[in-house]
Amino acid sequence: MTMNTTRSVWDYEDIVGRCLLEDLESLGEKIPGTVQHVNATYTGGGVAEILNSLVPLFKGIGVETEWKVIRGDDEFFSITKSFHNAIHGRAEDAIAVPVDHESVNVVDGIELQIEELKRRKSMFETYLRWNKINSEEVTLDGDFVIMHDPQPAAMIDMKRRGKWVWRCHIDVSNPDPLLWSFLKESISKYDASIFSTPMFSRPELNIRQFLIPPSIDPLSDKNIELSQGQIDTVLDKYEIVQDKPIITQISRFDRLKDLPGVIDAYKLVKTRMDCQLLLAGGVAADDPEGIGVYHEVMKKAEGDEDIHVLLGSPPFTDIEINAFQRASTVIMQKSLKEGFGLVVSEGLWKGKPVIGGATGGIPLQIINGVTGYLIHSVEGAAYKIANLLKNPELAKTIGENGREHVRHNFLITRHLKDYLLLLLSLENPSGIIKL
Amino acid sequence: MTDLADPTDFRFYKARYHSELTGKKAKDIHEFLAVIKEIDESAIFDHIYHALLDYHFLPLEYPNDFAYWIADVLHEPALAERLANLDLRRLHNLEMVRQEIIRVIEDYLVTHNEVSSKAGPGQEFYFIRCISVIFPTRYVASNIKEMLVILKEIDLETIFYYFIASRLLDGEHYKKWSDWLFENDSHELMEKLNNLYPYGFASMEAMRTEIVRMVEEYLWEHL
Repeated sequence: MTMNTTRSVWDYEDIVGRCLLEDLESLGEKIPGTVQHVNATYTGGGVAEILNSLVPLFKGIGVETEWKVIRGDDEFFSITKSFHNAIHGRAEDAIAVPVDHESVNVVDGIELQIEELKRRKSMFETYLRWNKINSEEVTLDGDFVIMHDPQPAAMIDMKRRGKWVWRCHIDVSNPDPLLWSFLKESISKYDASIFSTPMFSRPELNIRQFLIPPSIDPLSDKNIELSQGQIDTVLDKYEIVQDKPIITQISRFDRLKDLPGVIDAYKLVKTRMDCQLLLAGGVAADDPEGIGVYHEVMKKAEGDEDIHVLLGSPPFTDIEINAFQRASTVIMQKSLKEGFGLVVSEGLWKGKPVIGGATGGIPLQIINGVTGYLIHSVEGAAYKIANLLKNPELAKTIGENGREHVRHNFLITRHLKDYLLLLLSLENPSGIIKL
Repeated sequence: MTDLADPTDFRFYKARYHSELTGKKAKDIHEFLAVIKEIDESAIFDHIYHALLDYHFLPLEYPNDFAYWIADVLHEPALAERLANLDLRRLHNLEMVRQEIIRVIEDYLVTHNEVSSKAGPGQEFYFIRCISVIFPTRYVASNIKEMLVILKEIDLETIFYYFIASRLLDGEHYKKWSDWLFENDSHELMEKLNNLYPYGFASMEAMRTEIVRMVEEYLWEHL
C-alpha cells in the first residue's frame, strides 16, 4: 500500500511565515532523487500521524516520495510490541527472564535458561522471517529509504541501492541488552540514524546519528483552530460543564502516565479552590494492563463529581481531543517515564500552560517557568496548578510563550526542513555543504 | 539560481543548520573539559552561537549551552558566568573560542579544586555538531540602494549567515560580499560593517536595524 496525497507548504504561510517555506522549496529542488518512508501502520500512533502530514508535504515541494507499510501476522506484531516495550525500558517487558538461582536448583535453572533462549530465538526468527517476506513484497528502490522504528529494521539485509536511514522514534537509551544486541546487527548496516533527543541515542552505533525532534501538524484535526461552538458541542456530548477551571490530562491509561498522581494533585488543589479534572484517553488493544489502570483510576475518582474519567471506546476523534485541550485551563502530562510526549506540544500550541514530569522529551518542550512547569512530585504539581489558576495573567503569558516555542521548534514544517537537510548531508560528511 | 544575469550583481546566500550527534557526552567538569579539547569546531559553533539565531521570547540567563549546563546541572554559577561573558569580539575563529573556553575552565579549576558535582542520568552534556547547508536566495542586488532594500526584507537567517556563520566557518560568502562592496566603491561602508559587533545586540532583528541604519547613513553621505 502507498499513500498519494499532496499538500502545499504554502498552506502554512500564515503560521510560519514566508521565509521558511521559500527555503523548503529551494532545498526540495536540490534533493537528488526519490524518497521512501517505511513503517508498520498507516493509522494509529505518533509515527503514522507524523507521516500522514509529512509525506504529502514532501510531495508538495516536488520531492518524489512514497510511504510504504509492511505487513505481518498477529504474532509478528505481538513480538514487535514486546520489542517496543523492552527497548523502552519497561522491566516487566524485558525479553530476558533472569533465573532466581536461590529458588531453583542448578539443573532446573539451566533448563529454564535454555527454554528462555529457545523462546527468544523463536521470536527473533519470526521477526526476521516477516522482514524477509516484506523485503520480497515491498519494492524499495528509492534513492533515500527511511525506515521508521524497529519493525522493518531488518529489511536492510535486502538493500540493493540508495542511502538507508533508520529513524528511531523511541527511547533506546536503556534497552533490554539482548534485544538491543540483536537489533544492532541490522541498525549498524544503515547509512545513518535519527533520534528525537540526544539522550535517546546510542553512542556505540558506528553510523552517523542525527538529531531530529518530532513535530505536530497545526493544520491537522488534532490541532486546527476550533470555534467556541465546536468546543461546546464536544464538551456537551461528554456532559462537562464549563463553569469552573478545567485541569486536563490526555493520555493512555498506562501506569507510566501517573494518573493517580494527577488525581492526588487535583485533590490538593481542590481543597483551596474550585476546579474540575478531566482525564481522557484510551486503552491500547495490545495492553492488557490498561483496562486495569482504568478501573483503578475510576475507583480513585469515586465520589467526586468534578472528576471526569473518559475512556475513549471507540477512540476519541482528533477533533474531540482538540476540544478537550482547548477547553482546559491547565494541561498536565505528569508522566513518570515518557518518549517524546508530543501531547505537551499539542497543549502548548493551543496557548495553554502545561505542567509536565521532567522526563523523556518533556523538558525540551517545557522550558521551566517560561513555557510551563516541570514537576517532580504530586505536591509540586498541585502548587503549580494552584498558582496558574490563581494568576490568569501568568497562565496567559506562559501559554503564549509555549505557543511561540512550538511555532519555532515543534511544527511539521521544521520537521520537513530537518529531513531535507539530512538527505542533503548524507553524501557529505563535512560540516559545511554548499548547494 | 546561482547564475546571475549580470556578473557584477551580487546574490545573497544563506544557511540552514541541522544537528548531528557526536556520541560524546560529559557528566562532570573534567569530562567536559576533555571533550572541549578535542571536539569538532562545528560543535563549538553550535553550542556557543546558535542561541543568537534561535528564537527567544524571553532573555535566557546564560547566552550559550555550556554556561547554561554548568549553572543548571553542575551548580557552578561563577564558572557559568565567566563562560557567559566570553569576549567574542576578539575571538576571530572557532579555535580561538575553544582555547578561551579551555583557559577559563582551567583557571577556574586552579582556584576551585573542590568542583566535583556530577550530572545525573539524562542530565549529561551531549555534544552536538552543527551541519551548515548553504544555498542561494532569490535576492540579487545590482547596487547599494538595492542592497539596502534587500537588507530590510531578507530573513534573519541570512543576516546571521553573513555576519556570524560565514565569518567563523569558512568566510567565503562574507569575503565575496566584502569584495562586491569594494568593487562598488563602498569600502568605507564595508569597514563600518566589519567593525560591527554581532554580540552587542539584544536580538538579530536589532542587529539588522543597525545594519540598515549604517547603510542608509552611508547612502545619505554619498548622495
